[in-house]
Amino acid sequence: MISLENIPAQLGTTEPWIEKGGVHWLTLGAMNVRQLATAMNGLHARFITITAYQLPKEEGFRLEYHWDLDGQLLGFPFVLQGKSIESIFDLCEAVDWIEREIHEEYSLDFTGREYEPLLLRQGDTTGVNLRDAVAAGSAVAASDAVAASQEKK
Amino acid sequence: MSYKIPMGPYHPALEEPYKLDMICEGETVIDAKLSIGFNFRGIEHLAETRNHIQVIALMERVCGICSNIHTLTLCSAMEGLTGLTPPPRAQYIRVIMAELERLHSHVLWAGIAAKLMGFKTMFMTCFELREKVMDVLQAISGNRVNYSMNRIGGVNRDITDPASILKMVEALELEMGRTVIPIFTTSRTARSRCAGVGVLTNEKAVGMGIVGPVARASGVPQDLRRAAPYAAYAEMEFDVPVQPAGDVTARLLVRALEIMESCKILRQALSKLPPGEIATEGEKFAFTTGTATARVEAPRGEVMYSVSWKEGSRNPARVHVRTPTFAVMPAIRWMIKGARLADTPLIQASIDPCYSCTDR
Repeated sequence: MISLENIPAQLGTTEPWIEKGGVHWLTLGAMNVRQLATAMNGLHARFITITAYQLPKEEGFRLEYHWDLDGQLLGFPFVLQGKSIESIFDLCEAVDWIEREIHEEYSLDFTGREYEPLLLRQGDTTGVNLRDAVAAGSAVAASDAVAASQEKK
Repeated sequence: MSYKIPMGPYHPALEEPYKLDMICEGETVIDAKLSIGFNFRGIEHLAETRNHIQVIALMERVCGICSNIHTLTLCSAMEGLTGLTPPPRAQYIRVIMAELERLHSHVLWAGIAAKLMGFKTMFMTCFELREKVMDVLQAISGNRVNYSMNRIGGVNRDITDPASILKMVEALELEMGRTVIPIFTTSRTARSRCAGVGVLTNEKAVGMGIVGPVARASGVPQDLRRAAPYAAYAEMEFDVPVQPAGDVTARLLVRALEIMESCKILRQALSKLPPGEIATEGEKFAFTTGTATARVEAPRGEVMYSVSWKEGSRNPARVHVRTPTFAVMPAIRWMIKGARLADTPLIQASIDPCYSCTDR
């Protein structure tokens, strides 16, 4: 199995790996996501996915990028101040669909690439997974009502 | 002069809805564009409105073929947040269910592939065999599609008579070895329809992060059961079949050989099934704040669940699912470039796509 020990130094950080919840997490300092993707390509790591989180209130979003290195699951969190982050599609072809999906589900913009619709159809709007947007819909309001009644019990 | 042919979203050559817009010159496909989302159900978002019991039932319905794998991965992730560890017997039962599901999925795929090859007698043979696998699954779980076997900290049903299940598996293995495997590996019909068709090169498979049997058929020897063992896989002896050619024949061979490897694993798991509890009965648990991730080798490749929870909350804060078809499906574009139009249904079927998983 490939040792993870020397990777933080290669990524320009002195932070250690933190193994938690089945993932080896590394918080990157100044390194941006494109530099990370280049470094992962150099290590021949396999891209798995990006998980998007809408943070509470107006705190923005967190994106967690995951790669597999010889069976070890690596995770790199990025907190977005705004609603955009650089795309790594030109560096990592495997990222194409998940960037498009996150764009449609959370209205986040992956800059430096063009989009074609993935899940959405003509006339749909992006942001279907956003809490505030969905809360306005009757279906989720009904679910909230069920949850509220369960809380009372 | 080029022309455009749309296939789907509803088409006799497709098992589920998706759309392939192909640009052709004569009989040759020059390029293609894929559209998905016709089954998009917003299940990830829906999961945020379900408690820890309801969410298992919900995620079991992401897929109708590998439903057990979804609950296995979800429960493994939730076990990471609750600190519960399933007892050894439960880990073995999870392996048995996962391998039976792989058998059922691969034989189902073999039948569909046979039909698309124009080999309808083989289709009937495969579906007859699949019924027998379904009988075993039903004998264990009481269900044929959504087995409801996994729970946080173990499984819901025991295998009380492993010897009888072992007999059924041995009978299955014999029939697979006698009919499906030789026909798919030696028949002229299969070879003439599949050899050199829909090639995905090793370089492209690596670059696109392809997973599962499609990756292994392009010479990428990755399998989470070996690379990152979960449940009781560390205690099982098995081979990971790899083929270098990257064509439909290679995908056929990899799945055919995996059927035999699954039988091998099932025999070991059933004969070594340890005694004891099947779940952490009576143990109180609570979710801690954080995210836990679990990965499992589904019949189509790696499934990954990331589950986030806030302490004291009834529902998960986030459930993210990365399914194997979501990773593999973009490769169809590269497989059908340069292919004959008549081969495209077989090529797209050769990845064993699951649009239900993809759209979630």
